[in-house]
Amino acid sequence: MNDRKHAPGVSRRDFIQAAARGAAGMAVVMFWGDLTLVSANTVSGGPARGREGYAYDPTQHRWIYLVDVAKCIGCGSCVRACERENNVPRHFFRTWVERYQVSRTGRTWIDSPDGARDGFAPLVTGAEITKAFFVPKLCNHCTNTPCVQLCPVGASFVSPDGVVLVDEQRCIGCSYCVQACPYGSRFIHPETHTASKCTLCYHRLAKGMTTACVQNCPTDARRIGDARALGDEVAELIATTEVRVLKPELHTQPNCHYANLGGEAR
Amino acid sequence: MEHSKHIWRGAILLTAALTALVVGRHFLIPESFGEMGFYRGDALYEFMASPPVHGAPGACAACHDDVAAAKAQGGHRTVECEVCHGPLAVHVKDGEKVGDMPVDRSWQLCAHCHRYLAARPAAMPQIDLREHLDLGPQDPFPAEACLGCHDRDAIHSP
Ligand code: HEC
Ligand code: HEC
Ligand code: HEC
Ligand code: HEC
Repeated sequence: MNDRKHAPGVSRRDFIQAAARGAAGMAVVMFWGDLTLVSANTVSGGPARGREGYAYDPTQHRWIYLVDVAKCIGCGSCVRACERENNVPRHFFRTWVERYQVSRTGRTWIDSPDGARDGFAPLVTGAEITKAFFVPKLCNHCTNTPCVQLCPVGASFVSPDGVVLVDEQRCIGCSYCVQACPYGSRFIHPETHTASKCTLCYHRLAKGMTTACVQNCPTDARRIGDARALGDEVAELIATTEVRVLKPELHTQPNCHYANLGGEAR
Repeated sequence: MEHSKHIWRGAILLTAALTALVVGRHFLIPESFGEMGFYRGDALYEFMASPPVHGAPGACAACHDDVAAAKAQGGHRTVECEVCHGPLAVHVKDGEKVGDMPVDRSWQLCAHCHRYLAARPAAMPQIDLREHLDLGPQDPFPAEACLGCHDRDAIHSP
């Protein structure tokens, strides 16, 4: 029977077995990357070096941010600069400024009219205000991010240099992260319908520039530093002076630090 | 041995499912996913690529050295030109003027920083708007209220 239908020497069984082995081998070669379900990089947190051919190497920096509340004049220049730099839709904010006014009895008025995009007008409280200050806010770029952890599609991530970013192409707009952020730093973009947030002006940092908010602050209340650069002033200040983070009780480990922050600030 | 076919069926189904999983993953997961972590590595490089809108500090001085030099001497030396005007990208591209730079002559521009507010640090020069402009409580603000006395040069270098 074999001899009649097939070339002599190769039985049907042999042929199918050889073909199956060959196909399996090909599949392993083709899909090996997919078979290693957890790649080495995912576990170790990334490669030791960035891609070849790019001027900026994300693995060689560690961005940290310092706000000096005592210097903030509440002008809102940062909010306007951020809006222009990042094309932030009107009435949404990647950074904003809050005003705290505390009366002698400890009552606190907090406001941020339109994110302080147009600055502040005097607020009549009818009480004797004994303490007042501005608190600029932005994404805290937490080390222990509540927002990135629960992204179901791997769209939210922390870059090797410590910046929390959203991959617009992968984001499905479920807004879990918007709800998870204890600082209210994220929003769903009304046009793209994806999560949007402060990128720490990543496009500027990568070109050796500073962020739009830091550059446009008239009083140096906002500063950014690189904890991996030798002798970095901001890193030194954070390491050696009294600084606080927002909501430390949540253990999110923000990389945005505050100097001279009143206890009323939340 | 007639029951061995149950094992074969199971094995074939399992192999088919695993193959579907692996092939599916191959096409659904972007190539650069996992390069640096549990995300698309390309995304990071896409962020890097977008062009800046605001110029580097001192970018205006290349063409407006007179204003820049005056500003560097006065009270507004820490105030970037782009704060009061607009971002470089609307005005200059590749070293050529491509559009008009906005000039905001309204009193609101100055009020952002100089109107008296209880929360402002005391060291910041602040004015009570109506008092400074000598206006009664009901008088409307003239739109360019500050420019009459603080002229262009005074504004750039108060
Ligand atoms: C504090 C806000 C402020 C800053 C900072 C500032 N300007 Fe101005 N600038 C103004 C205002 C307001 C006018 C309009 C003055 C007027 O018309 O009397 C003006 C006018 C000008 C004009 C003339 C425009 C025209 O049509 O007459 C030029 C040019 C100019 N600024 C350039 C600069 C440059 C360059 C810098 C940075 C070195 C700078 N400005 C920084 C507020 C500012
Ligand atoms: C490549 C050179 C160049 C640079 C850089 C530049 N400008 Fe100009 N700017 C010009 C020219 C040219 C004019 C037109 C001058 C004139 O008509 O006298 C002008 C005019 C202006 C005017 C008057 C309004 C207008 O658009 O005609 C303002 C205000 C101004 N520039 C502000 C700025 C500021 C602020 C910066 C920095 C962010 C800046 N410029 C950077 C070339 C430059
Ligand atoms: C982005 C914030 C900002 C804007 C907008 C701004 N200024 Fe200023 N201004 C400052 C700062 C900061 C100083 C320096 C304060 C200091 O010396 O500590 C200053 C100083 C001054 C001074 C000198 C005060 C002194 O006692 O030395 C005058 C006058 C002044 N500004 C007028 C104006 C006028 C008029 C405008 C509107 C065209 C204006 N400013 C817009 C931030 C601003
Ligand atoms: C009638 C003329 C006049 C007008 C209009 C005017 N100023 Fe003045 N301003 C002055 C004079 C004169 C001084 C300097 C004398 C002084 O220090 O009080 C001054 C000083 C200032 C100072 C410095 C105050 C300090 O404590 O050092 C600021 C800030 C200021 N003006 C902002 C403004 C703003 C903002 C407007 C528009 C809402 C404005 N000025 C409109 C005449 C004027």
